[in-house]
Amino acid sequence: MDEDIRKLADALYRERVLRARRTPPEERILDGIRLYDHAVELMRLGVKSQHPDADDSEVERLLIGRIRLSWKLSDHGYYRPA
Amino acid sequence: MPTDHLSHILLAMQAIEAAGIAHVLVGSLSSNVHGFARSTKDMDLVIQADRTEMDRLFAALGSHFDIEPQGSFETITGTFRHVLVAKDGRFKVEVFNLSQDLHDQERFRRRLMVNYPSLGARVAILTAEDVIITKLRWARPKDLEDVRDVIAVQGDRLDSNYLHHWTALHGTRAKLDEIRASIPPLD
Repeated sequence: MDEDIRKLADALYRERVLRARRTPPEERILDGIRLYDHAVELMRLGVKSQHPDADDSEVERLLIGRIRLSWKLSDHGYYRPA
Repeated sequence: MPTDHLSHILLAMQAIEAAGIAHVLVGSLSSNVHGFARSTKDMDLVIQADRTEMDRLFAALGSHFDIEPQGSFETITGTFRHVLVAKDGRFKVEVFNLSQDLHDQERFRRRLMVNYPSLGARVAILTAEDVIITKLRWARPKDLEDVRDVIAVQGDRLDSNYLHHWTALHGTRAKLDEIRASIPPLD
């Protein structure tokens, strides 16, 4: 990595760490939940953009499908059926 | 005002508290306490409960969650997992039975009780060290990022002897050292 870019990346990381240390733990939990709310909303916009003719119920169905897919990808190889 | 997914977490926490079940939050809900906030797509929970207590818990959650009929075993510690999917299909709660795995037992014993009013209940979370040890075993890319971030945020407060004990047993000490070395100077 270019030395200037590495220095910049390190400085940004340091700032993230210092900010996290200043943020109360309970707020960090809530931030994580809000981030997921935003992620789902972005996913919904992506579905709408790819399926402009879909009605709300169809968008919802496709959105749930994407969420399920993300769960499967995250779990892959870590569980076996009982 | 609760967010969409916070309301699911609140419902689950209230049901667990009402059932009087010993629990600990694991996954991102615990790692976010000790590191950076990252998106919490589910709620992972380890519980110590008998069949009757679990039936009571699932009955209490039944009007808000669909309980997947097929359970599964987590492949690292053999822990049994139940998956509860919110009726809106966008959030899931994964409930793991406390296993006989030595570290699973130890992290449960050392869990921290915290009072977070926004979660609606007194909740139990993993210690920072136990988040690191657990995530080193899972070792997905996001887990290893979480390990780095928890180490960076917690700094000198971590109990190195405890970390070294368990990572030696799990064969993850080299990965721990590699991640430590990758953290830039912070002070």
